[in-house]
Amino acid sequence: MNKVLQDSYQTYRPRPFKKDERENVTLLFGGLTWRAERALVGLFEGAGYKAESLPPATRSDLLFGRSLVDVGQCCPTAFTTGNLARTLKDKADKIGPDRVADEYVFVTAGACGACRFGQYHYSYELALRNIGMEAFRLFLVEQHEIDQSKDDDEGFQTDTHLLLGAILSVMMTDVIQDLEYQIRPYEVEFGATDAAIKKAVEDIYDAVRNRPQNKGKLGTILWHLTTDHYAKALRKAKSHFEGIKLDRLRIKPKVKITGEFYVSTVEGDANHSIHAWLEQEGAEVLPAPVAVWFDYLMRFARRKQQDRIGIHKGARKKQLMIELARRLYRGRYHSLCKALGDIPRHLPDQNELARLAQPFYDNRLNGGEGDLLVGKALYAHLHKVAHMVCELSPYGCLPNTMSIGAMAAAQGKYPDLLYAPLEIKGDSEVHVISRCQMVLTEAKARARSEFDAALKAAGLTLEEARARYEAHPEMHDPFWQVPKRGAVGTAANVVLELGGASL
Amino acid sequence: MTLLTFPKLFAKPRSAEVVRPERKLRIGIPRVLNMWSTHRFWTTFFVELGVNRRSVVYSSETSEARQREFGQGRAAVDCCYPVKCMTGHYGELLHGLKKPINVLFSPKITTLPSILQGEVRNTMSCPRVLAGAESTKAGFLREGNAFADAGVIYVDPVVHLDEPKLAARELFEALDPVLEDLTPEEVEAAIEAGFAALEEFDTSLRKQSLNVLRNCAADSRPAVLALGRPYHMDPGIGHGIATELQEAGYPVLWGQYLPLEEDLLDWLYRDLLSAGRIRTPFDISDIWPSSHSSNTNELLWAARYASLMPWIACVIRFSSYECGMDQPTYTPVQETVEALGTLFFAFQDLDATNPAGSVRIRVETIDYYLKRRAQKIIEQKLAALDTPPESFSNLGSIKDAAQ
Repeated sequence: MNKVLQDSYQTYRPRPFKKDERENVTLLFGGLTWRAERALVGLFEGAGYKAESLPPATRSDLLFGRSLVDVGQCCPTAFTTGNLARTLKDKADKIGPDRVADEYVFVTAGACGACRFGQYHYSYELALRNIGMEAFRLFLVEQHEIDQSKDDDEGFQTDTHLLLGAILSVMMTDVIQDLEYQIRPYEVEFGATDAAIKKAVEDIYDAVRNRPQNKGKLGTILWHLTTDHYAKALRKAKSHFEGIKLDRLRIKPKVKITGEFYVSTVEGDANHSIHAWLEQEGAEVLPAPVAVWFDYLMRFARRKQQDRIGIHKGARKKQLMIELARRLYRGRYHSLCKALGDIPRHLPDQNELARLAQPFYDNRLNGGEGDLLVGKALYAHLHKVAHMVCELSPYGCLPNTMSIGAMAAAQGKYPDLLYAPLEIKGDSEVHVISRCQMVLTEAKARARSEFDAALKAAGLTLEEARARYEAHPEMHDPFWQVPKRGAVGTAANVVLELGGASL
Repeated sequence: MTLLTFPKLFAKPRSAEVVRPERKLRIGIPRVLNMWSTHRFWTTFFVELGVNRRSVVYSSETSEARQREFGQGRAAVDCCYPVKCMTGHYGELLHGLKKPINVLFSPKITTLPSILQGEVRNTMSCPRVLAGAESTKAGFLREGNAFADAGVIYVDPVVHLDEPKLAARELFEALDPVLEDLTPEEVEAAIEAGFAALEEFDTSLRKQSLNVLRNCAADSRPAVLALGRPYHMDPGIGHGIATELQEAGYPVLWGQYLPLEEDLLDWLYRDLLSAGRIRTPFDISDIWPSSHSSNTNELLWAARYASLMPWIACVIRFSSYECGMDQPTYTPVQETVEALGTLFFAFQDLDATNPAGSVRIRVETIDYYLKRRAQKIIEQKLAALDTPPESFSNLGSIKDAAQ
């Protein structure tokens, strides 16, 4: 071969994964919550694949990931790369690298744009080389395309049916997680919520696994828009939480989690188990639903078309189509909330998020979460959703650092906003926790003074409020709607309800 | 392009002959980030809109002293130095000019014009680069409005430079409240003139690079390619490393301004094209399929160009501390460059401090290796390619080298 051709660098190209291999090949994937991953295993199995989610990423994965790829990666890259490499190595130790290369493939999202997330696979590829598993196959699923079905012979088909199923799976696990996080801090019997969520997620897994087969592109869209299949599964899941008794008079600051997609959604070493830590410290945590991210992507795509009306042919039509899809998407999410007694919070209004963020971060800037984090922080503060915003930003995250910088002006304008941007490196737990602790202390004080103000407004003493609460068993029920009476905290709103007052 | 051309980079363009409304405003533009590759567009754009050419002023080159004087306490977040130093540039424009400005214009350039357009997935800016203005602005707003206090209007439009019609709309909307009686037609015409000026400028630098390579070919001398992002040309960001190499006697080319003569590209890429590995000389899908970022794409493209071009015997790679766009490219770039034996040296983690002593030692090392290996590298790269195009093959030394 010619020297130029022989010696020139070429990027990694995986061997094809053929349809007839499906029976013997397991899809590996990861990077989501355990609930979503379990649901997606069901989705893949239902579609005829063998599937397995990667184990939760640990700190040793982080260190392993760092040792395998070029220096300076952002923390999610190091975690996910190390996690994949460790898993493959463990498997290779048991069955040998050749069998791992033949019997497993890894599927991940790619191409979110110029953010490094769209280039994760270079790290994966380098890691594969460095553990001697270049023959292993990894495939990217494009984030901005719904139907990516390839020719019939391809082993992995990301068609409309699969992708809509994936979206609904994530929605279901989002709403069940939101329910879980609203119940656990107030459960009277310790561990009751954790036991319920495990059973509930299995119901979701069953429902996703046993959904009807593909009905063609249009058929599957219509089915996903109209079916009661998913809501029915959630109603069944709901039954596991019924009967859990809650003490809603516990004074807890509400802490909204936002941040970069990976570190804000997973629960484990990758974010120092911040969700669990906050709950242990007495907070009610508002986790970050993945569904808000998809809603944001559609809002961004709509704006992109809106800006091009009169310039690009068909931009107006595209804008309308995207907005229609977005509304249907939100409607579907809210119908799933209803299946859980409408306890899970609805998706925030994206237009409002954009409006709030615009003076500080232009909503046409892309990359990562764009203006979303600024919008969410201000929304949580101004709409009395949370006492405190905890923004988890990975070390080295390109877009997040810029929106955190922009928040300096927002904090100047809203000095009462309790905002804790936490840089997550994966190996600096004490630093992260102590920084969070400082702001949480202030949030606790705020929740306490709000509660005292609620007692005063309701004309009740604590004892009187307690006595009235005990006399209302429906308020102990996880599916009782806590009315919004002008307070942020659950306990304060309950007291206001008991006294028929508002703040 | 050599460093001797730097003083010309931000020089004013020649005046156009058309009559245009005069707008008596002073526009201050921070000399940062992708302004280093698009400045000629912006200068011409404002001049075409009737702003006096002397009234389009840029901040100075980045320096630690200037940063201390004007940027202290303004940074809202810790990030890479090219973005962090924007506070010093803003501060200088607000407080450091003898003749004050009326408008601080800091465009958030979202997409860039690129020679690779059409061959790559996108030509976006780095997320930090495009949003750097938001973070910098915050440092001047958190304790009151420093722009208003200085009597300056702050204008920071999102601009898609890869879509001229959209850019015209974006710029009209942003400047309409600032420039009296502005019309969309004026903006469109100014944009057209801006792109023409930019192209003329880029072409002239590419021609200079061609001459450098031809001289190298004639004398069988090595040239060095500086591979970095446009702002590494800023002596405060790139720390004058390329100048040190020039002082050591090596002509330095920049990846942004490599010659694009058809016969030259055909010669360099012939094997890759005929084997079907690439569709055109600008196709990088075989080495960088996630081609979203404009500067990253061009970096990879230039790396391959350098790996094939015989007289580029050495590549020096610039990368700033915490550069997330560069990080995934370290191995692909190095392996691309070194494929046919080209020397590769990386200056990574460049930050505010100028490591003059270590730079000098590294330059001595580079000089040592070039003295030892350059001739062999040139010969072996020539041997790997077909006969050079006529514009090069009639230069005596090549025939000698080929023999």
